Amino acid sequence: MKKEIKPPVLADRLFERYCRNAQIEDLHGDVEELFYLNLKTMPIWKAKVYYWRQVFSLMFSYAVKRRKKNASTHAFASHSINLGMVSNYFLIASRSLVKNKFFSIINIIGLAVGMSVCLLLISFFSFITTYDDFHAERNNIYRVISKTNYKTELKEWASAPSFLAHHLKNDHTGIDEVVRVNASLNSDVEIDNNKIPISGYYVDPNFLSVFTYPLVTGNKDMALQKPNTIVITERAVKKLFGDVNPVGEAIKINNVDFEITGVLEDHPKNSHMQFEALASYQSIEKGSLNGADNLSLSNLKEFRDEYIYLLLPNAKNIHQLESYLNKQASKANGIEGYNIAFELQKLEDITPGRALSNSIGPAWDIQSLSAFIFIALLILLPASFNYANISIAQSLKRMKEIGLRKMMGGLQQQIFLQFIIETIIISLISLGLSFYLFTLIRQEFLAMLVSGDAISLDLNMQTILYFVVFAVLVGLVTGFVPAYYFSKLNPVQAMKKTPVRKASGFAFRKSLTVFQFVLSIVFITTVVIQLSQYRQTINYDFGFQQENILDVQLQESDPDLLRNEFSKLSSVAQISMSSNVLGVEGVPPVFLKNLNGTDSIKVFQMFIDEYYLSNLGLTLVAGRNFTSNKLSNNKIIVNESFLEKIGINDPSLALGQLFTINDQPQEVIGVVLNFHYAPLDQPIESFMFRYDVNQFRVANVKVASNDMLETLTEMDAIWRMLGGEKKFIAHFFEEEIEEAYSNYFVLVKLCGFLGFLAITISCLGLLGMVVLTVDSKIKEIGIRKVMGASTHGMVVMLSKDFIKLIFIASCIALPITYLFFDQVYMRTQYYKIPIGATEILISLGIIMSFGFFTILSQTMRAAQANPVDTLRSE
Amino acid sequence: MKGFIGEFEELVLLTIASFGDQAYGVIIKDDIERRANRSVSIGALHSTITRLEEKGFVKSWLGEPTEERGGRRKRYFELTQTGKAGLHQMKNLRDELWKASGINLELAK
Repeated sequence: MKKEIKPPVLADRLFERYCRNAQIEDLHGDVEELFYLNLKTMPIWKAKVYYWRQVFSLMFSYAVKRRKKNASTHAFASHSINLGMVSNYFLIASRSLVKNKFFSIINIIGLAVGMSVCLLLISFFSFITTYDDFHAERNNIYRVISKTNYKTELKEWASAPSFLAHHLKNDHTGIDEVVRVNASLNSDVEIDNNKIPISGYYVDPNFLSVFTYPLVTGNKDMALQKPNTIVITERAVKKLFGDVNPVGEAIKINNVDFEITGVLEDHPKNSHMQFEALASYQSIEKGSLNGADNLSLSNLKEFRDEYIYLLLPNAKNIHQLESYLNKQASKANGIEGYNIAFELQKLEDITPGRALSNSIGPAWDIQSLSAFIFIALLILLPASFNYANISIAQSLKRMKEIGLRKMMGGLQQQIFLQFIIETIIISLISLGLSFYLFTLIRQEFLAMLVSGDAISLDLNMQTILYFVVFAVLVGLVTGFVPAYYFSKLNPVQAMKKTPVRKASGFAFRKSLTVFQFVLSIVFITTVVIQLSQYRQTINYDFGFQQENILDVQLQESDPDLLRNEFSKLSSVAQISMSSNVLGVEGVPPVFLKNLNGTDSIKVFQMFIDEYYLSNLGLTLVAGRNFTSNKLSNNKIIVNESFLEKIGINDPSLALGQLFTINDQPQEVIGVVLNFHYAPLDQPIESFMFRYDVNQFRVANVKVASNDMLETLTEMDAIWRMLGGEKKFIAHFFEEEIEEAYSNYFVLVKLCGFLGFLAITISCLGLLGMVVLTVDSKIKEIGIRKVMGASTHGMVVMLSKDFIKLIFIASCIALPITYLFFDQVYMRTQYYKIPIGATEILISLGIIMSFGFFTILSQTMRAAQANPVDTLRSE
Repeated sequence: MKGFIGEFEELVLLTIASFGDQAYGVIIKDDIERRANRSVSIGALHSTITRLEEKGFVKSWLGEPTEERGGRRKRYFELTQTGKAGLHQMKNLRDELWKASGINLELAK
């Protein structure tokens, strides 16, 4: 044995490094002894290789793992989770909550605010997952959905051509029922000369047996057997008849009499079909109703509002059915670049489900739901970051406690558990507050949704359970980082109270604050821009006058009579008649044919009388106004865009041109300046005025008097005198325009609310950070003041870092908001109004004042403190 | 009794027993390798011994430092009462089974 031969040094070092403070000298001795033994029998290199192998086998062995574990914990440590300790965790948690009241409150409010949107989301989700679960046959109902590919444009539809139903019924076995549904029953019911809108479906007679929509009165098998029969819901009964039993009565829809054969229970809110009435499908098969005649039904392209539901005895033949349907489709596919394919969709996959065009009821597709989730997380995450932030920054206060626990044998996972439990307690308390917020915003939220009627956010045991589970989850996720941090603390350092502050930690906290403020600024800027857009839209120059004009709904009273009577009033300056209200609603288009037989032109039209142009201040650039009804028949007044479309530059040349509408010749007698006849999100296109007394729906009364109340009372009196049984309905034109753009307010409300939440959370986070910084510098401030520093200087010193953060946030947020509005939002508006510097300054001002207030409130307090108080005790 | 005794564990226990109070890592490993003609890594051996200690079959103590291992002490192992009882139980079970299957095993020869 040569003296200089030693085991590989590297392996030794690696082994000792790996085992750290574990007790392994006997193991090390064993491998070394083996090495020297091996030297006698094998070459040196082989012995070294063997040594390496043995060292590795030890490093991965249970023996070393166990010894390392023993070395890292105290001899008293126990791995079992002791109930006594858990209750001690609760005790300590409640004590530290009470001790640090200020931070507990900040954390609880922050988390509660963050969670409130998530509670909405959860109750919303738990509701929509119950969609259609009341159908007895829910597991066997399928819907045929269509996928079209027309000139490389792919689209998915909830509807399918109804003629397929016929084929499915006759050519295919293994289908229990085929139900056709046509969703085009949306019109007014005429009852006692009243028109009441009603919406519903035309359905096959077996609809009521396949789906579980029970009848209160009537026979579910017979109710819809005959053409022109209808069943209506209890709600519709109340709307149409009041308390009278309607069965056997007839109601008129689109001039067709329907016999009521039954009354349905109101369907639950969680139905993907929403209806007030169900009429027999045969009613439209006869071709007795407009817009749904038999010819178009057999066309593969015509499936708008046509739905097919199948009741299948088992799921086995779905593929067979799909391939059968696609075989049918393939016969017609490929013509004119049009392709269609079919698929079966299970009832439970309808809502929530894929985004499909032409859906039958309220559609909650997965894409928009994920946007909702994203927003909720965007609010929740900053709140939980705040918590982690504040807890870690506060760690100095708890260091001794943790150090002592570790000294006494507290294991890493036990410290971890302790802090997780603490966070869960906080998040459960927050849940209480958050729940209160939730009840406050619930109704507003529903009102904001497009199909809010089909959603109920009422609580049940299940939702409450979800809430609690959610709060515990939030506690787990939020508490993870601080708990991990604390459990990793070295007991010696902890007892010495030397902070283990990593430089990255502080940078992370700073960037978090910046991120939160960016969010707040984006939301607030959105609100301010929206509001100014709204204001500017209302004051926008539509190209006509809207002041002092009262729009009176004619409601079938005689226009001439009304005009005569109203003009007797002294307060009325002028009266004109029209078919629509300008700038508020879309006006209907017609197709106009040139006499030369060229392409027809799509022209939006409105019917007016001879006073209209002057009443609304519309300017004629060429030609003349209408004169009276008889003379103005077949005359039209067009706008400038119309001339552009037909290629005439000089307005006067257009006069006398002839066009036809439904083979009736029309002569252009005048040209008006362009004006906004439709809401601002639509461009000005070809437009014309025509004169037809029968089309008048609105009287535009220009009021000269300042006493509006009196004018209205006078008008009401005349209205009654004229024998109108109906209510006098009048609105100011300006108000109507304001109302038409009130959808702007939905976004304002939404962003305002989110902005409020975001600001609250960011300011709470900022407050926490400022307080901690100030507290840790309290002695420094005292000494500085003793040495002659001014209060003012102290405030600047303490505040500048935080104010810098807010400035950085603004620099990031403003371009984002600007881009969003410029690139995305404004695309939806045809006539966009540029974003001004004022809006941006206002929103910045709001955020900055919140931020500055938060910062200054704390720094001022610290700077003004008497140094004697702060320095007195050590 | 805590836990069962595996095949390798039984081997280790018996080897430790065969050395009385002089059993330590290297000689246990050597002995098993020689007798059973199988290669045993020191890591696997110590893992097994650690498990046996946890089960209470083996107790250990550190010896005095000696020259030969760079001054590192040896850890000696010895069977506990539980370990002995466990081995006995194992043997009894085996004997019983051998007796029961004796005829069949003889035929198979």
